[in-house]
Amino acid sequence: MIHFSNVTKFYEKQAALKSVTFSIEKGEMVFITGPSGAGKSTLLKIIYLSEKPDEGNVTIAEWDLSKLKESSIPFLRRNIGVVFQDFRLLDNRNIFDNVAIALRIRGLLDREIQDWVMEILKIVNLRHKADSFPRTLSGGEQQRVVIARAIVGEPTILLADEPTGNLDPDTAAGITRLFKEINARGTTVVIATHNRELYKNSGRRVFRIDNGNIVGEEIG
Amino acid sequence: MYLLYSFRLAIQSLWREKWINLLSVLTIAAGLFMSTLTFFVVYNIDLATKKLPASFSVMLYLNDGLSEQEIGNIIAQLKKNNAVEQARYITKDKALQELKGVLKNADYILEGLGENPLSASIEIKLQTESVNIASVKKIAEEIKKIKGIAEVEYGEKFLNSLHSIKGAAKAGSLSLISIISAGVIFVCYSTIKIAFYRRKEEIETFKLLGATRGFIRAPFVIEGSVLGIFGGLASTAAAFAFYYVLFYKVTAAIPILKILVFPFEIFPALPVAGLLLGIGGAVIALGRIRFS
Repeated sequence: MIHFSNVTKFYEKQAALKSVTFSIEKGEMVFITGPSGAGKSTLLKIIYLSEKPDEGNVTIAEWDLSKLKESSIPFLRRNIGVVFQDFRLLDNRNIFDNVAIALRIRGLLDREIQDWVMEILKIVNLRHKADSFPRTLSGGEQQRVVIARAIVGEPTILLADEPTGNLDPDTAAGITRLFKEINARGTTVVIATHNRELYKNSGRRVFRIDNGNIVGEEIG
Repeated sequence: MYLLYSFRLAIQSLWREKWINLLSVLTIAAGLFMSTLTFFVVYNIDLATKKLPASFSVMLYLNDGLSEQEIGNIIAQLKKNNAVEQARYITKDKALQELKGVLKNADYILEGLGENPLSASIEIKLQTESVNIASVKKIAEEIKKIKGIAEVEYGEKFLNSLHSIKGAAKAGSLSLISIISAGVIFVCYSTIKIAFYRRKEEIETFKLLGATRGFIRAPFVIEGSVLGIFGGLASTAAAFAFYYVLFYKVTAAIPILKILVFPFEIFPALPVAGLLLGIGGAVIALGRIRFS
């Protein structure tokens, strides 16, 4: 599903990723861990095409990114749900609209959007907050809105960048359960985190990244 | 279809920045109204010059003592020229009568002249398409060669200045309308650019969620169109007010202005022009949207 081959990425001559090679199979749930600045976010950004690798090849669901036309990027991104570290919620829209935007972009009709968004909000247990605005929600609730927005389009890949960064242990455990449920439905899930609790005893592959290199792979 | 949603976004944005947008609409309207006035002036100059060929004539003064047969030959030769539509012979006596008619009560001036000093002449009317400096000059030179013609007169200076005025008015108006159009495009460009920067974060999120260029552009192009159309409609209202005041109020005081003609086709053209300039400004402001 995701294949990195000798991928290198520089920022201002400083290598953020150094000849990284790995593969993630369809339907897998994997963790990428490492200290801050190790290259976890860069790796995810390359997957959702926010950054281009300077060297090497990346293949996502049989799309060779080096051969991908710029005009095709939106269509590939629709297959990738992203839980952004900084949430990227639209403060001037309510929760319903924040989730619905992912479907509006896909050109769905209002009545289809209405039913489906409410269904997804039910999954993340936020149906009662549909009319609220992001700023009135707690960090955990906002995180769940971002997850709802990421999965509402039924992507084949779900990426999460530090999804439990500022959450208390109970909320973090709830979010992790949610990812497992999403993965159980067949979605490939990639979670970048430095929170050991998230992958401990998960039985999933964990890639350890440091200073732009994958320095180890283990089962959590 | 996301068009309905794009309309909603555009209307929300227009309402949020209503005062800036109102200012843009008024600026666009002022620009288009100035273009209308320019067009009105040029339109009337053009009409006046188009009416000219009907009254334009070339006078051929004949040598004295020509026989009727010689005069007939001259007229026959003139009629062979395709540019000549009509040739009218004016005898010496008729010329004097016409002069008396022009002088009216001042015809005593002619009393001391004794013998009729005027020459017999031929007045020729040219085909409409031949009434221009180059053709008239060429025809006059050809006619001068005909035996029996003493002088050819066609108001060369008048024709030259008229041509210059027409050319200058056309060039001037074209430049002015181009500058005003560029100004209108710039107003739309700036308004949309501000709206775009204000929503930069939101647009970045849209891109990351898989929005196409069309989805991102549509609300801004709609905003530009709305600004342009409203600017066009406001300028139509101003143009109508101008028409009403000029043709119903001013002409009552200055009747000679009744010769002016208002180009009514400008009324539907203004909102269309506003729309096109608005879309143009928006498209330039958005530029190329990049995804990576």
